[in-house]
Amino acid sequence: MTDDDARGKVEVKNVSKQFDIEDSDQGLAIKDVNFTVQPNEFLTIVGRSGCGKSTMLNIIAGLLNPTEGEVLIHGKPVTEPGLDRGMVFQSASLFPWLRAIENIEFGPRNIGMPKDKRRELARDLIKLVGLEGFENKWPRELSGGMQQRVAIARAMAMDPEILLMDEPFGALDQLTREDMQRELLRIWENRRKTVIFVTHSILEAIYLSDRVLVFCPHPGNVRKEFEIDLPRPRQKSSTEYMAYYEEIYENIS
Amino acid sequence: MNHRKFQRTLWASWLGFIIVLVIWQVVASVGIRDPLVFPGPASVVEAAIKNVPLTRLLEHIGISLLRVIMGFSLGAAVGITVGIVSGWYQKLGNVLRTPIEILRPIPPLGWIPLAIIWLGLGESSKVFIIFLGAFFPIFTNTFKGMVAIDPNIVRAAQTLGIQKNRLLFKVIFPATLPDIATGFRVGWSYSFGLVVAAELIAASSGLGYMIMHARELSMISVIMYGIILIGAINLITDYLIQEVFLKRRLKWHYIETAF
Amino acid sequence: MDTIAAIEEEKKGFQLSDRWIQIITTVAIIGIWELLSRSGLIKPVHLPSPTRVASTFFYIMREGYPQDITIFIHIKATVWRIIQGYLLAVVTAIPIGLVVGSHFMLERVANPVVTFARSIATISLLPLAIAWFGIGELSSILLITYGAFWAILTNTIQGVKQVDVTYINVAHMFGANQRHIFFRVVLPATLPRVFAGMKIGLGVSFMVIIAAELVGTVEGLGALIQQSRLYYRTDITIVGMIFIGLFGLIISFGLDRLERVMLPWAVGLEEVKR
Repeated sequence: MTDDDARGKVEVKNVSKQFDIEDSDQGLAIKDVNFTVQPNEFLTIVGRSGCGKSTMLNIIAGLLNPTEGEVLIHGKPVTEPGLDRGMVFQSASLFPWLRAIENIEFGPRNIGMPKDKRRELARDLIKLVGLEGFENKWPRELSGGMQQRVAIARAMAMDPEILLMDEPFGALDQLTREDMQRELLRIWENRRKTVIFVTHSILEAIYLSDRVLVFCPHPGNVRKEFEIDLPRPRQKSSTEYMAYYEEIYENIS
Repeated sequence: MNHRKFQRTLWASWLGFIIVLVIWQVVASVGIRDPLVFPGPASVVEAAIKNVPLTRLLEHIGISLLRVIMGFSLGAAVGITVGIVSGWYQKLGNVLRTPIEILRPIPPLGWIPLAIIWLGLGESSKVFIIFLGAFFPIFTNTFKGMVAIDPNIVRAAQTLGIQKNRLLFKVIFPATLPDIATGFRVGWSYSFGLVVAAELIAASSGLGYMIMHARELSMISVIMYGIILIGAINLITDYLIQEVFLKRRLKWHYIETAF
Repeated sequence: MDTIAAIEEEKKGFQLSDRWIQIITTVAIIGIWELLSRSGLIKPVHLPSPTRVASTFFYIMREGYPQDITIFIHIKATVWRIIQGYLLAVVTAIPIGLVVGSHFMLERVANPVVTFARSIATISLLPLAIAWFGIGELSSILLITYGAFWAILTNTIQGVKQVDVTYINVAHMFGANQRHIFFRVVLPATLPRVFAGMKIGLGVSFMVIIAAELVGTVEGLGALIQQSRLYYRTDITIVGMIFIGLFGLIISFGLDRLERVMLPWAVGLEEVKR
């Protein structure tokens, strides 16, 4: 197996996370979680609020460290955040003091990319997420959906192998949410990456992913796995779609 | 912040005071060394006890507090009334607000000379200043509260068949209480500083006077004593008002506190 | 139903008719005032007529009070004291606030001390300052510094504490080091709150200096109204108060304008909690 084959492959091995009672309300957030994400796969972790899915994602991101077990990204353990992973948060993550395009330039600027190069790169990404004309807007001037597009563009600016998304459309209204789901798939077709997506919406999970992991709490763990074997774009009203929904719904409780 | 963490680090709160006291004492005994110019904490307490008998002290405190209470109550009564009226009757509100907004930029202390011209050097001029200090924030907050009432609450009450008068008392007024409370907090915090200032400038009794008088006698330790005492009383009254009065009455609403 | 109408009206914003009511009311008040003065119902020593106030307004710009000290000299004296005291507070409070706000234990230790220091009535320090430094510029300036310092400090500390941890997480994802995170994320994120503190601090400075000048200076807006009272020149007292009010207005409008220029991205971010 060459290095290329492993690019973007994430292995979660026996990961547990115990929170210090002093620090937070959780005790054992997740326990003995095991799963593997294939390169360029779109994987969604779905579960109720508080089941530990965000904790899991934060550990993969490197923002949290597991109490037991490890996460490997092409063979190497993850201990801290890195440029191989980009992350999109649920809401209000754009720096309000930077314009849209400057937000996207944040990563490149941080590593010292010269101004014209990063401007070009950012413009490219603005086009990719469909926000041409909005480069110089302040985040507060953008709608929720537009903000998340900028957030996605920003996360992709360093060309990470893996894109982590923590309920990125959770704060949007239903219609915008559905637009964004289509947008995300379009962007993903354009620039393939491994995507690990977290949501509590089963419909969203089925619409977007190759594979869905159902996460259940107390303590958090993968209850069941589903391969979504439907061609894209998927019809939310189709019988197969609803069949998946029923199955996953049963497993979630 | 997590409650446990708060408890664990409670000792840190005292540490701050202790450090300040220590530095103070060190500067006084080792640095400046002249107790007449810069007394340390020990000298302050000692001199204060010697020079300000308890009865006199209580007199000063009492008078200052009395002025504050009178001025504040007046300011609150007028402020709330005018605020509610201005919010309830929009046109009248516009008329009333005009002179109020014109006078607002003038700080209450700026009124002192005029207050003395009008009311003399007695109690009323000081009470007037405190009245001003309390009136403006309480009025403003009451008015804002009236205007910013969620229309849905009013509509809901109306669909339940409420009459106009009861609407005012049973729905509108309670809905404005949080804002009135904010106005109270702001107004009260001004009141204390104002009474001290007013007494400093033109009075023959009260805590402000006590300090000014001590200066004339060059009793720096008494001045320091007075300063700290005023600060402590301010803190205590603020705490009492918040914890005892406001939090109990307005349990249903989140109130930001300094503690 | 008046209140619902009021709410809808307020939401529509300021109507032209509102402006008219204000103008008419103002004119009416001045008119009644003038009439009452003319009729002798109000003694000029208590409240001089508007015409008298108006003419004094110009007098004080030309001739000045006390003699030769024009209003501009008074204003300049007050302004200069504010500038010195305020700037001193700004350059000390902001760095200290940034450091204290960034370190949990530091903040825990400092908090009670700060709370107490803030509850000390700034004006009560005036006798102390006078005892040490005499009546003069230094006392007033130090008083202003004390008052403004705590306001700016507390807001700066809060500003740092309230930086959304998401911003920091985002920066971490891009591998930013501690220095970068501080200067490129924390600092900009605290700006709106720091600015709010600076606004409050300037307001405090203004109130403190007026009070200090009432006690004992020759020049300055506070001194002006105090002096004029002693000589029963109520007209000058009132004109002085008008100038004080105008000055306060200019300060607050000026600051709001400045904020919009310097922090165009922050509009609406610092909202009052209900």
